[in-house]
Amino acid sequence: MKALGLLRRAPLTPSLRPTPPAVLDFLAPSTLQTRRQCKNTATKQSAAIPTTSQQKSNSSKPKYVLNQEQREFLDRALRVNQAGELAATLIYTAQTPQVVRSHPHLRPLMKHMYDQEVGHFNTFNHLIAKHRVRPTAMYPIWEVAATFLGWSTGVMGREAAMACTEAVETEIGSHYNDQVREILSWKAEAESRGEELDEELEEMLVTFRRIRDEELEHLDHAVENDAKEARPYDPLVNVIRYGCKAAIKITERV
Amino acid sequence: MTRPQPLLTLSRRYLTTIVTPRTSTTTTSRLLRAPQPQPARPHLRITTTTPLIRTYHSIHYPSPTHPYTNSQTTILSAALHHVPTHGFTRDALTLGARDAGFLDVSVQLFPRAEFDLILFYLASRRGLLRSKVENDNLLQSAQPQSVDDKIKVLIMERLRMNAEVREKWVDALAIMSLGENIPMSLSELHALSDDILSLAGDVSVDASWYSKRLAIAAVYASSEFMMTRDTSAGLRDTEEFLGRRLADARAVGDKLSGVKQCLGFMGTTAVGLGRSWGLKI
Repeated sequence: MKALGLLRRAPLTPSLRPTPPAVLDFLAPSTLQTRRQCKNTATKQSAAIPTTSQQKSNSSKPKYVLNQEQREFLDRALRVNQAGELAATLIYTAQTPQVVRSHPHLRPLMKHMYDQEVGHFNTFNHLIAKHRVRPTAMYPIWEVAATFLGWSTGVMGREAAMACTEAVETEIGSHYNDQVREILSWKAEAESRGEELDEELEEMLVTFRRIRDEELEHLDHAVENDAKEARPYDPLVNVIRYGCKAAIKITERV
Repeated sequence: MTRPQPLLTLSRRYLTTIVTPRTSTTTTSRLLRAPQPQPARPHLRITTTTPLIRTYHSIHYPSPTHPYTNSQTTILSAALHHVPTHGFTRDALTLGARDAGFLDVSVQLFPRAEFDLILFYLASRRGLLRSKVENDNLLQSAQPQSVDDKIKVLIMERLRMNAEVREKWVDALAIMSLGENIPMSLSELHALSDDILSLAGDVSVDASWYSKRLAIAAVYASSEFMMTRDTSAGLRDTEEFLGRRLADARAVGDKLSGVKQCLGFMGTTAVGLGRSWGLKI
């Protein structure tokens, strides 16, 4: 409350302050706009004011405060990621019996990929609960759809199953890449202001990168195992890719 | 009680001539600023777009505080003291404004009058519940409690907060169930059940996230209604009622998960049987 009053006065008295820190300059105009933004900046500035003194003492950098839009981005991202990993585990569960039956040498590979997906799924379940993100309302539908996708491509044979993996991992990989890029852009913005991301975000960045690399590794495995030999390749892969894209869009909202 | 027109125009005149928006740091000038930016009253917009949508939470960013201005908070808090006697009415608001040293006309800050008071009551009690858990160790006990027990404790605690406005609560429920107020009332109810579940330590991340919130909201709302007619000592009847409703909800949940499990089992059996016959499925 006090900070708010202080804030309102702040832009009026620039001459009284010897050198207002860059953060305040950046935020000042928005205090005059709508109230909601004013509130955001209030939290930002109250977070920034103690930090300027900290900067001088050089102990630790101020934390970068996420705005509403960025929080919504994280909200959507975590929801989509959880749903994606749920689908991935179910696809592998449904594919494995048929693939392994005719190609027993693929058992360790399928198990390896499945185990990694379960690991990712648990990671996101944990993050969703920790950050109180709403899970997708389409959960039961995605369960059925993913099982059906895994089962049907499994029935079509090893190549089709691998083509399915290829298509899904391509979409998922680029999706994770977008998220990593977004968080990195926040990081760059934070650094330009002399702030830093909090450790949760840093950790999330590391996790997203690791998971993205693992998903792309699955993509390589799929291509090594004749994903490109699937018949009919193009329609199958395109249908799955567009299906994934649509599912991501729906999950972001619902 | 309310003479909006003349005083409102007066305040507008003040605004254009004397008060510049930048320097308005005192409560009164902020009060006068209220109708300034747009012809549409800004406070109406603020209270209707209350960001109750829950987004990413993190310990590093405490969730944004309430959307009320200082003066609104002051008046509403003062008005709450008059609710047990005057109910959720415009009178309570006016008396609250007087107590807080505002003019009667500052009730204009609340375009929806009674409903704004009710929403403030609900939101502040919800915050109180959270602080009771986080600061007063409401859920601390010698033996570890299950999530269900914690939920019951939390709902009961929340109901007890309604005890002193019990007689007036039916009116509040009536106002909340008016068509235009329903969306906000429901989102407040959702926020409460969401808070209760997260405080109780529930970590469901699948479709049960929805069913649990729905169940808690239904149980809470029915108990709340039951409470308005409860005359027993220490709200014993309400507590028993709540216990029965929670048991019902649990029974329904168990039934549904049993049916789901049974169907899943039959499905995998059929597939396994087919595979054992050599079908490529």
